[in-house]
Amino acid sequence: MKISGTIERKGMGPGTWALVADSGDTYELKDAPEGLRQSGLKVSVEGEIREDVMTFAMIGPVLQVSSFEAL
Amino acid sequence: MKKLLLISLFIVGLAFSLFNFKGLAAQGDFESIVLDFREDIPVAEVQRELNHLAQDLNLSPQLNSEFSSKDNIYIVSGDKNTLRTLKNAGLTEETEYIEPNYLYRAFKAPNDPEYSKQWNLHNINIEAAWEETKGNGITVAVIDTGVTPVPDLKQTKFVKGYDFVSDRIEAYDDNGHGTHVAGTIAQSTDNNYGVAGIAYEAKIMPLKVLSGSGGGTVADIAEAIRYAADNDADVINLSLGGAGESKIMQEAVDYAYEKGVVVIAAAGNENRNSASYPARYPHVISVSALDAANNKAPYSNFGAGVDIAAPGGSEAGKILQNTIDPENGKAVFLGFQGTSMAAPHVAGVAALIKAAGIKEPDEVLSILKESSRKVEQDPLNHYGAGQLDAGTAVKLAMQGQVSFKDFFRWLRENGYLNPRFWIDGGTIALLPKVAMVLGSYILAWFLRAYFPFAWSWSLTSGLVAGSSGLFFLRGLYIFDLPQWPFRVAGSSIPELGNAIQGTSSLNPIFASVAIPALLIVAFLGHKSWKWFAIGSSLGVASCLAVNAVIAPELWGLGDGIWARGFLVMNAVLCFALAQLASQGENKTA
Repeated sequence: MKISGTIERKGMGPGTWALVADSGDTYELKDAPEGLRQSGLKVSVEGEIREDVMTFAMIGPVLQVSSFEAL
Repeated sequence: MKKLLLISLFIVGLAFSLFNFKGLAAQGDFESIVLDFREDIPVAEVQRELNHLAQDLNLSPQLNSEFSSKDNIYIVSGDKNTLRTLKNAGLTEETEYIEPNYLYRAFKAPNDPEYSKQWNLHNINIEAAWEETKGNGITVAVIDTGVTPVPDLKQTKFVKGYDFVSDRIEAYDDNGHGTHVAGTIAQSTDNNYGVAGIAYEAKIMPLKVLSGSGGGTVADIAEAIRYAADNDADVINLSLGGAGESKIMQEAVDYAYEKGVVVIAAAGNENRNSASYPARYPHVISVSALDAANNKAPYSNFGAGVDIAAPGGSEAGKILQNTIDPENGKAVFLGFQGTSMAAPHVAGVAALIKAAGIKEPDEVLSILKESSRKVEQDPLNHYGAGQLDAGTAVKLAMQGQVSFKDFFRWLRENGYLNPRFWIDGGTIALLPKVAMVLGSYILAWFLRAYFPFAWSWSLTSGLVAGSSGLFFLRGLYIFDLPQWPFRVAGSSIPELGNAIQGTSSLNPIFASVAIPALLIVAFLGHKSWKWFAIGSSLGVASCLAVNAVIAPELWGLGDGIWARGFLVMNAVLCFALAQLASQGENKTA
């Protein structure tokens, strides 16, 4: 699936990287790639939702990124 | 009439002194000493003694307040040694007393220097809980990013854990989340360092299932839950969650529940209606988060599946614990927020409840819910049953538990710890009486093991009435007062038949199952008097059994084998009667 939005650092516990989609939904980035660790970055991300993964951040569906491009 | 008034006043006074007896509680802390100089000695002499204290002992006595000058009450700062020196300073003639100026405080706060910043512990009323237990003997599994033994976990006890991410025994933290969670549960406390934890005498079982970046698979988490259940964990904390329902996870939770493990999970941080998995499974206690003002934290999930609310913090006030800095692995004190922080508050309190003797997960949950502070207006179920209250929860858990502490409290409340009892009690046969009291208590304890019931005021009154009466009263002889009221008040039910006459051989009608049977028949329908009847039946059983061994003399039956047989048979009947009467009770203890 392809989602565009903005990268944000969410302060749950020690914090985690999130993609806030243009639709308003929040996705937690699983093992966020180095290039995505930048608050405010507008991106388009290709990836899949990992239903079998749980996290301590619990901010929304876990998105495993396969590729991305900055907008 | 005058005599009656005198008797009444005397009994009221005696009861007052018994109930106000502080017993063991009198050992307190003090930082200063009170000196009360006599009022009938010249002011100049008092001044001379004060100068002597100042010059020879290097003390600086001060009047306690501007109101103390009339009574000559002076305060000097000092400790036990100063007290001893003062007592040997030759002031006996001039003073009425020299005593420690005890410090009174509601509860003892731990000495951790950052404790005052832990609003969260204050909000859950933790100090009242610590009066009873600190979680000793309980193991809490922290299924998380691992736990690193940071300096403020140095005194905390650990049991063997496992790292399911890297498949090895050491389960150290490479993120900071798990160590923080473990800190909330059992940070080393009263160690003059850092911050406090909730159940700080409990043991931590570190189980790593989340990687350094904070995610892990349901397969690993399910295995960790089973590992905890198989390795004697009493409580499991899951500060993690996700959207996906999973069979393997639910089965693991059910497995732990069947083994008596209390499973607690965070409700999730999406600010949406309904808890995430695993919090929403049955048999998992789901925790939403509160901010420092006890309102729902902005991020916290709510609604379906939320059981209880606990401090999770917000931007305005976070939860402070000792953990590691994920950048360099060094130990730091960090404030975090999240339902991840709320869940371990409940896990810590669940550990305290378990340490107080409640074992079944359902009972732990009902105590957590019943003791929580209800929120009147909560149409969206932000708070579940209410806001976590550790003090009330532990008090509720202790009710209906027979512990050593309980037994002491019972002794004290019934006057057996009063020094007066031991002095005046010397005039009557003391040891058989003590045996009767202990015996009745033990019988009640046995009965509870089979038919759990609440340890109530009416039951203990019954035990005392049946076994011994307020027997220390029997040794009292007061001028101008008849002695028989003391003998009657000081007699147990079996002794009532001979108390007024003042003879020592028992009346076989009173010293039998007859009166307990009448009491039980009369009061079986009454909620609390029923327990008085059951208590007196157990008390009589104990009294008759002790008498059968020590003083079996009965009217008409002598003191031989027949009298003993009669007493033993009736003791057994009394116990059976009490057992029968308590059977219908539900397990509401």
